[in-house]
Amino acid sequence: MLRTIIAKEFLNNILNLRFMIGLVLCLIVTVACIMILAHDYRQQMNDYNARMNIQDEIVDNYAKADHHRVFNLLRPQKPPERFRPLIIGIPGNESSGFFDYNPLPILFPPLDFLFIVTIIMSLLAMLFSYDAIAGERQSGTLRLMISNSISRTKLLFGKFIGGTASLLIPFILALLVGVLYVSVNPVIQWDGSAWVELALLTAASITFITLFYLLGLMISTFSKYSAISILNCLFIWVLLILVIPNICPYISAQFCRIPSIKEAERRDNEIERHSIEVARKLMNEAVKEFKLKYSKLFSEFESMEFGGIAAFFVFGRDVDPKYQKAAQQRAEEEPEFKAMMNAFRQKEEKARDELMRIRRANPFLDDLHRKAALQTNLAKNLACISPFANFVYIARELTGTGLRSPDYFEQVKDEYDDQLHSYLDKKIQEAKEKNPELDEESFLDVSDRPRLVFKEEPFKDKLGAVLPYWGILVLFNVVFFAAAFAGFMRYDVR
Amino acid sequence: MLMSIIRKEILSNLLSYKFSIITILSTILILVSILVMYGDYLLAMDNHDILRKESSDHSGIIPPTPLGIFAKGLDDNLCRPWELQGVGVGISSEQQKSLNNLFKLFTAPDLLYIIKVILSLCAMLFAFDMVSGEKETGTLRQALSYRLKRPILIVGKWIGGFTSFILPFFIAVLLGTIFVTLSPMVDINAQDWTKLGLFILSSVIYLAIFFSLGLLISCLTHRSSTSLVISLFVWTILVFLIPNLGNILACQFIQIPTAQQLDLKRKQIMNRVRFEMKQIPKTRPDYEKRLKELQFRTIKEGDQLDEDYRNRINRLVKVSQSITGLSPAPAFTLLATDIMGTGVAEERRLKKAAQDYKDFLVKLYYIDGTLDEESEQPKFHYQRSSVKDILSQGGLSNSLILILLNVLFFSGAYVAFLRYDVR
Repeated sequence: MLRTIIAKEFLNNILNLRFMIGLVLCLIVTVACIMILAHDYRQQMNDYNARMNIQDEIVDNYAKADHHRVFNLLRPQKPPERFRPLIIGIPGNESSGFFDYNPLPILFPPLDFLFIVTIIMSLLAMLFSYDAIAGERQSGTLRLMISNSISRTKLLFGKFIGGTASLLIPFILALLVGVLYVSVNPVIQWDGSAWVELALLTAASITFITLFYLLGLMISTFSKYSAISILNCLFIWVLLILVIPNICPYISAQFCRIPSIKEAERRDNEIERHSIEVARKLMNEAVKEFKLKYSKLFSEFESMEFGGIAAFFVFGRDVDPKYQKAAQQRAEEEPEFKAMMNAFRQKEEKARDELMRIRRANPFLDDLHRKAALQTNLAKNLACISPFANFVYIARELTGTGLRSPDYFEQVKDEYDDQLHSYLDKKIQEAKEKNPELDEESFLDVSDRPRLVFKEEPFKDKLGAVLPYWGILVLFNVVFFAAAFAGFMRYDVR
Repeated sequence: MLMSIIRKEILSNLLSYKFSIITILSTILILVSILVMYGDYLLAMDNHDILRKESSDHSGIIPPTPLGIFAKGLDDNLCRPWELQGVGVGISSEQQKSLNNLFKLFTAPDLLYIIKVILSLCAMLFAFDMVSGEKETGTLRQALSYRLKRPILIVGKWIGGFTSFILPFFIAVLLGTIFVTLSPMVDINAQDWTKLGLFILSSVIYLAIFFSLGLLISCLTHRSSTSLVISLFVWTILVFLIPNLGNILACQFIQIPTAQQLDLKRKQIMNRVRFEMKQIPKTRPDYEKRLKELQFRTIKEGDQLDEDYRNRINRLVKVSQSITGLSPAPAFTLLATDIMGTGVAEERRLKKAAQDYKDFLVKLYYIDGTLDEESEQPKFHYQRSSVKDILSQGGLSNSLILILLNVLFFSGAYVAFLRYDVR
């Protein structure tokens, strides 16, 4: 009997006008969207390559024998996300920090796979289910069915399975055509992990779509007329999709305020300057004390720029390696010099500890980032009331276009910075050995430097990040089905 | 007779469930939106006060406009502090919002968004069964069996239906506006009132388009359920599909380098110039003169780069407008944000003002020689566009698109109703 109900529901839906409109819309939008985004991906790749070439030209021609300057020239560039033919990264990110940018994506967020699932499919799901019960009651067929020996549970299950199956046909068909286009496009090179992520994305989309089908079914079991059911459905759809997620960041901004970035930076600079002042004062006192105690021996040590970080505090510059080496050699040869140097090093340590203590006690930047994280988390969690937000988090995190992707890129950049630091240490040392006259203004050939190779975030990490939100979507499904079940058990079919 | 039909339409709407639910939804949403965006405006003002104190010479910052409460547009980006650099213009500090990416992930729930997306849907829901629904219940046949002319009936239905739909909108907007104007933190001048009036007028025209479209669909179908399904799909296409897909399609025709690439190109120029500067021997008697010449040339090269980029953006906006011209949503978005001083035209104007300021300083320093490092530099001043500017910057063409679509859809509904089979 269950099969008969599923078949009836399925056939009833696919012969309906809404199925045809849904199918045509899904196919046209998905294919057009993927074709345009694939072309856009190619443009973004060209842009990335152009950026890399400009960067190489700058670094190869103007790099100096100084870490700071090389790092200033070399800003790691992020390649376009591999899922860009399906999902575009966070809109408006490009304008961040630039006076000149393209304003259109802010006013008109680009259309992608997320839009197809969250707007078109959710709306279609509700249109498929809003009259599943109330409509049949109005036409009198529900009464006829119930008068036979069929349980309400089976009827509801049958309607759910048949309805969902017919609803998913346009979606799966459109996605298959889109994926076929992606797989034959030579510009898009997806590896095994990308296909696994796509499979999970499809599964998450199905969870999201069934959720809205069940929501429509639930509303239908609580309505007598399909006209009222559709109005209630649309009312809730507007709230869940168009209102709640958009309002949450603004509400959280009112409750968790973030201090001004400029103010925090200014205070941070003040503290940094103050910490250097304090360390300098301590070192100057130590120099005075050592001059009195060791007189000539210390003057010789001073002429070697103290062979350590004190040079920075006292003279305001980094120690030259040649002095460092000379001081070390002298200490090995002369025990009295060594004792003095060690005593001076202790003073240096003390000054450095004081400097670090002051900087660590700096509350401003930490406070800024802590409050920003708090605000983001509050907004994120508040928006979880809406299935839309949960699905957006899942889809974006799975495809590396989400909120965690900038942090992940920062992590990749930090690792690369470490590599580059070691490379530059070695390179500058070698260059100085070859040319003792080399200084911070001298050109340094870094054409053999390590290059940043962007690797996708490990799949395990992505999955860990999306599972809680997926759980919420499943929970929504269960709750809506249970409510639809309870509603239908008490439904007056007359 | 026309008055009786209008009255009947208004009364039947007022007593319907649809009216209650749409009125409750739109009223709550408009009030919540204004309240939320008002809070956002106060935060932006606090931030502006801090940043203004910090601003140095050859830099600029403009305050957020209170009209951003109604249409946020690009205001967050417009109000960032910027400073003139050797090559180009740079942003000296971001807003706090830049630290919370959720703001970028979801759209600002301002009045513009509520009208563009939600109220347009409500307008279609109001109109989708005005003809096909009456046909189903049999009242249309009865009404036309009297000496009632079809043109009078359709005009009466339109006026009555639209009046009952738009009244709650006016009341909610009025309440929200009173709340905002009563706040001592918000300073709305006469110019702003005119702009707000124009914004509401354009919103009414925009909503009338969707109402007429809903009526047209109702006149083309014989069952209200069919009319509803078609209305929803047309709404999705007009409000989301055409504007959002059209813009990304426009980007495929006009190649725009990313902001990062532009920044790298500037850096390339700067590094080359630094290198060339070091090649000039300091012992030369004309060292200072040659240095200035080189700097001047660099600034002009950077300006050329910026101009080229901005021209491309302008072309992109035009192409995008041509592609999306079929839908009222992009025309309304551009018109509303331009009216409120938070749109693409305002951004273009601000960039031009920053460029003019830069050219002025460059002229004083490099050509006239009346400005040096120690003398006090002229400050940057900026006034947002007046109503006249808005109309000349493209506001008029967008208004015409909206009016034209209105006339088109209403004429379509009128013609379709004259040929409608009421049996």
